[in-house]
Amino acid sequence: MKHVLLQVLTEDLPQVSLILADLALFSPDYRPHCTAHFPLVPGERFRELHAQASSRLQKISRHIPLAPLASPGELRVISEAELEETNSWLGEVWERCSRFEESLRRLDDERQMISQLEQALENFGELNIDLGLLRRERLYLDILVGMVPRANVSRLKEAVALADYLLFDYMQLRESAHVIVVGLKGERERELRSVLGTAGFRALSVPPELQHEPERVRAELNRRRLNLGQQLQHETAEILACQNELGGRLEQSRSALIMAEPYASIDTAARSAGYLSIVSGWIPARDIERIRRALEGALANPFLLDARDPTAEERPLVPSYMPDNRLLAPFSALVKQYGLPRYGEVDPTAIFALTFVLMFGMMFGDVGHGATIALVAWLARRKLGSFTLFAVSIGISAALFGLLYGSVFGYEYLIDALWIAPMSDPVYMLSMALRWGIAFLVMISFIAIYNRVIQGELMRALFDSNGLVGASLYLSVLYGIYRYHVTGGLSSAAILISILALLMLFGYQLVKSHAPPGERILVAFIETFETLTGYVSNTLSFLRVAAFSLNHVALAIAIFALADMMASIQAHVVMVICGNLFILVLEGAIVAIQALRLEYFEGFSRFYSGDGLEFRPLRLNLGGGA
Amino acid sequence: MTIPASDTYLKTRAAVMARRLLSRALLEHMALSPLEALSRDFGLDAILESSLSQAARNRLAEQALIHALMRDLSVLLRPLDGNARNILIHWSRKFELYNLKALIRGKLHGLPFDQIKRNLYDLPPLISLPHDRLLRTESIQELLRSLEQGAFADIALQARQVYEEKNEPFSLDAAIDRSYYTGMLRRIHRVEPGDRKPLQRLVGTLVDQQNLVWLLRYRFSYCLSPSETYYLLIPFGRRLQREQLKMLVNLDRFEQIIEHLPNALRSAMQDVKELLGVEQRLAAETAVQAHKCLRFSQSAVTRSLAYLLLREMDLKKIHALVQGRVLSLSDPLIRIALDMDQDSPGVARSMVGERV
Repeated sequence: MKHVLLQVLTEDLPQVSLILADLALFSPDYRPHCTAHFPLVPGERFRELHAQASSRLQKISRHIPLAPLASPGELRVISEAELEETNSWLGEVWERCSRFEESLRRLDDERQMISQLEQALENFGELNIDLGLLRRERLYLDILVGMVPRANVSRLKEAVALADYLLFDYMQLRESAHVIVVGLKGERERELRSVLGTAGFRALSVPPELQHEPERVRAELNRRRLNLGQQLQHETAEILACQNELGGRLEQSRSALIMAEPYASIDTAARSAGYLSIVSGWIPARDIERIRRALEGALANPFLLDARDPTAEERPLVPSYMPDNRLLAPFSALVKQYGLPRYGEVDPTAIFALTFVLMFGMMFGDVGHGATIALVAWLARRKLGSFTLFAVSIGISAALFGLLYGSVFGYEYLIDALWIAPMSDPVYMLSMALRWGIAFLVMISFIAIYNRVIQGELMRALFDSNGLVGASLYLSVLYGIYRYHVTGGLSSAAILISILALLMLFGYQLVKSHAPPGERILVAFIETFETLTGYVSNTLSFLRVAAFSLNHVALAIAIFALADMMASIQAHVVMVICGNLFILVLEGAIVAIQALRLEYFEGFSRFYSGDGLEFRPLRLNLGGGA
Repeated sequence: MTIPASDTYLKTRAAVMARRLLSRALLEHMALSPLEALSRDFGLDAILESSLSQAARNRLAEQALIHALMRDLSVLLRPLDGNARNILIHWSRKFELYNLKALIRGKLHGLPFDQIKRNLYDLPPLISLPHDRLLRTESIQELLRSLEQGAFADIALQARQVYEEKNEPFSLDAAIDRSYYTGMLRRIHRVEPGDRKPLQRLVGTLVDQQNLVWLLRYRFSYCLSPSETYYLLIPFGRRLQREQLKMLVNLDRFEQIIEHLPNALRSAMQDVKELLGVEQRLAAETAVQAHKCLRFSQSAVTRSLAYLLLREMDLKKIHALVQGRVLSLSDPLIRIALDMDQDSPGVARSMVGERV
């Protein structure tokens, strides 16, 4: 990765941003650069316009959906004037859409109001009182009928009582309560109106015909409902007309916003001093010349492109470039679940892909089961997307190990094992798993050392628990155990190296920790001890590779035992099929999780900090805000 | 539910954190300290940048102090779960409600995007609204429609109702504040019985403080009627209960209301002649109650809430002090803002312009 400083004329900045976005190889560096010579951040108004226009387009697209774009189309520089015009037009469109939203909301309110009214009038009709009393203007009494939100009723009752009014709630429907407010006509009427307004009171009119001609009232409500439906239809038609009328221009606006976005998002990575501007960022080393050529081809004015290696202080800020690889894409997604490698660190994706597929096969070795996984994954490839390859690989791996173990759908006698049937020698299987674990850990330790060296952390590369000294301790202990196992005697060289390594680890921990002397010794002792036990427990952890291969066979035996107990041949077949499905789904999932666990905890945690920054190049965003 | 082990941990945590609270002596010392020393002590180095405007330095200080409070909150939240945790989270929502009010006021007055944004607190995602999306709304109705789809839906609905009926920003503020406090009381009803009473007492003190200030403001500043004033209050305080409030809203003079307060509150209000004096005395009274809860309460969540209340008060004082130094106010004025001189309360408040 190279840090680049591009010097261009300010008028060329929008075009430069567009070219860089089109190549998708430039990640902007937003740190303040050369602020003394280039004090200004250009394009602030442009950025604001773009943000507002994008937001408007996004909101509009909720009402007028735009078809997804396959390609950005021809590149063209968007001027501030054009962006301003687009934004202003989108503002007008959004105002129309917002009015639709608001009127739809009001129509919904109105619909609820009519329902409430119908219920209320139904209720009035059944009351044995003279409704004329509620309707007529009275000389001394003030009578109001209406609705308030239910939550406000008790508080409102107390509040109107302070103004010498009485409130009765006679019906509650959903969130509303229907109330009658009664009091003496007089000075406090204004006070009452004010508090009712604050409480969200909505008056209900009592039609004169209610008592004697209820059908007329119902007809009136039906008319209102019909009218409401017509208004709703009208609004919907308006939206549709809007879609037809504006669809084309909206597509154009989206295209303009796509082309404007690179300059808007380059933000503080560009600085200017009048006519001259700089742009700083990161570009993969191998692509510098490609970018230079593209700029030479497109810019009429001269420019200067300086590229340099990142400094030691900058290393934590350098983004990690992980090129797109279709084969490794699903494995890369799983690696990213753990974290990204720092710049310069070994990208673990390929190692992960290889070891994960191998371990899954070792633990789930069966020709039938593996082939089923691969076949199902292939058939469901549209749904699985990039994960198809992942599922097919682990399926093939399981099938190949099945050939080595001689297992087909749990049957151990259909084919001869090319290597060994796991249950025939479990101890051998466990020893092989241990060897695999040792090889895996040694490889991981050397990657960890390499990563430390690359990061410039030489002390950690040498003396850390996962450094050279830690690896030496591990290997010397292993050699000592091996010698004892083979010859029955201790190896003085192994003991000497182990003791030296332990002392160096202890010394390093003493130097590294910041605490009072007593605590420092305690911490160093515990850390050193933990290094030793960590290596032992991590190695033993790999026994599960063999344990699961044995478990797979044991489960199959259990299924066959159950099937043999069945009285009929049909029941036997059903049992075998169901049992195999059970193994496929449940054990398959468990084995995948166990393999992932080994990768993350015994592997990644040793060499991989996972706190790297992803290389996010400036690119043309086909969404364009929508 | 709070299990005893986490209770013990939380009480210990609150006790340890309580050591950060400002003593009178420390406040006296700070009142004499220059801006550089204050910035160093409270991690506000960024405000010393000479190129910044006074307003920008003020905002930076305010933001840094709120971050400090949010850090304390996150520490206290860790051992809590369920309803007890919800209490502390809901308490912290008040800062997001300041943002909500700023957003609504900004939209009502047609302020530009940047100007509204500058006045919003940057808060943790747990309580934060989607500021950018809300800022990009182009009318108050659109803002309320957006809010109706999130955690603040009930507040938005109520705010819309009040806005459409009255169209007055203060009514909106009242609806939002009411909704906040009733939400707090509702959550208290759901906690374990052992936590409920102490929490009700502490939050009741806060509600009393709000109720009395609102009552005086609505009656004498906004000239609202007794019934409307009562409607806008929360009749679930500690000392100012329903009947007490009904009686108080019907009184026509400031002095009468003070005279008719319950004994404990009346004695605290002796010689107070104006609303801002009442606010300061009530804040002092709340501080006393919170200190008591922090030291003696059996409920760990109550202690935590008491700590947060006191810490917030302290941070406001630090902010007032820093602001005073940034604006080069005189020492006597700053002392008044810090409530260290009781002679003329309120003068500095208006000069220092406390935002919250």
